[in-house]
Amino acid sequence: MVVLTALLLVAFVAGVFGSMLGVGGGIVMVPMLTLAFGVPIKTAVATSIVCVIATSSMAQTSFVSRGMTNIRLGMLLEVATSIGAVAGGVTAVLVDGRFLQVAFAFVVFYVAWQMSRRRGDVVPVQTGLLEAGYYDPASGEDVRYGVRRPRLGFVLCLGAGNISGLLGVGGGAFKVPIMNLLMGAPLKATIATSNLMIGVTAATSAAIFYGRGYMDPYWVVPSALGILAGARLGPRLAARMSARALSLTFQVVLAIFGLLMLLKAVGVPV
Amino acid sequence: MDPVERTVKAILLAGIAVSVALMAVGLVLGVAHGTMLPRAMVSLSALPSALARLDPAAYVTLGLIVLVVTPFVRVVGSLVAFAVERDRAYVLITATVLVVMCLGVLLGRA
Repeated sequence: MVVLTALLLVAFVAGVFGSMLGVGGGIVMVPMLTLAFGVPIKTAVATSIVCVIATSSMAQTSFVSRGMTNIRLGMLLEVATSIGAVAGGVTAVLVDGRFLQVAFAFVVFYVAWQMSRRRGDVVPVQTGLLEAGYYDPASGEDVRYGVRRPRLGFVLCLGAGNISGLLGVGGGAFKVPIMNLLMGAPLKATIATSNLMIGVTAATSAAIFYGRGYMDPYWVVPSALGILAGARLGPRLAARMSARALSLTFQVVLAIFGLLMLLKAVGVPV
Repeated sequence: MDPVERTVKAILLAGIAVSVALMAVGLVLGVAHGTMLPRAMVSLSALPSALARLDPAAYVTLGLIVLVVTPFVRVVGSLVAFAVERDRAYVLITATVLVVMCLGVLLGRA
């Protein structure tokens, strides 16, 4: 009972941050499960994948109502991320896993540094491409924006899907910066849209993990329930926070992701 | 909300509600059997008979399957919504995503 209660709490926190930042929270669930609860790594990864789906579905119910999710942008980039993820097996043969983990860490540190230099959100520009708008409760303004550099964003999403397919984590950590820094969509819209996208690759992975028998309901059910509760709260926090504070939180979480990936590269089961 | 957004939201809410309800039934059955949570999922082929004999693991498994299948249904739902709006480009884009998802499951990669 103590274990289950602790797991519910951990999952709740992961659900809040995962949905608030559009990163799914899976990357935090894996080390918590393996290091704090002694769960075998494959079971932990299977559990975290279900957590990502739960985060994505629950967070969307709130983000879509607020008009923050750009469904068309999400669907377009999902083509890239899902193809990238399926092609992960090809890359795995070509590149050493440890090299990828270290590369992931440095890319994530670089992205965090780029975000910190910006000191705030992108200035929305009407480009006439995939335009959307939402009401931002933090600033009290209606935000209208368009998207820039769709081709480059698409190609980078192929890479993001590929890497997250290989490492099993990190989809949102790249999708948010690609849509925000590169394609010029405001942070809140990218977080909401990333939340929608991560469910797609996670659902595919989860179906595979179920087929292979790695799902253990003892860990999955309390984690999923905790995540669902947390992911109801996360989008509300994201909507109300200033873009500056949200960006700062994102940078801290990116740095944690990078450190975890470096730990993984030296053999710690996270 | 436009029709696509409404469809997506309705599907996701329904998926979560059905999933949580099934997991709750599984938990209640588990407590009644004195086993709490099962340690393994029930395979797809064994699922119908296990559901019929009120096996707690079967209800938990079905609840988790519904959760996992929800994003697939969401993509199908948006495909239909784009088709109703006669947005050909997005019907094609969404169909591609759906095909790649199914391909991923078949190839065992994602």
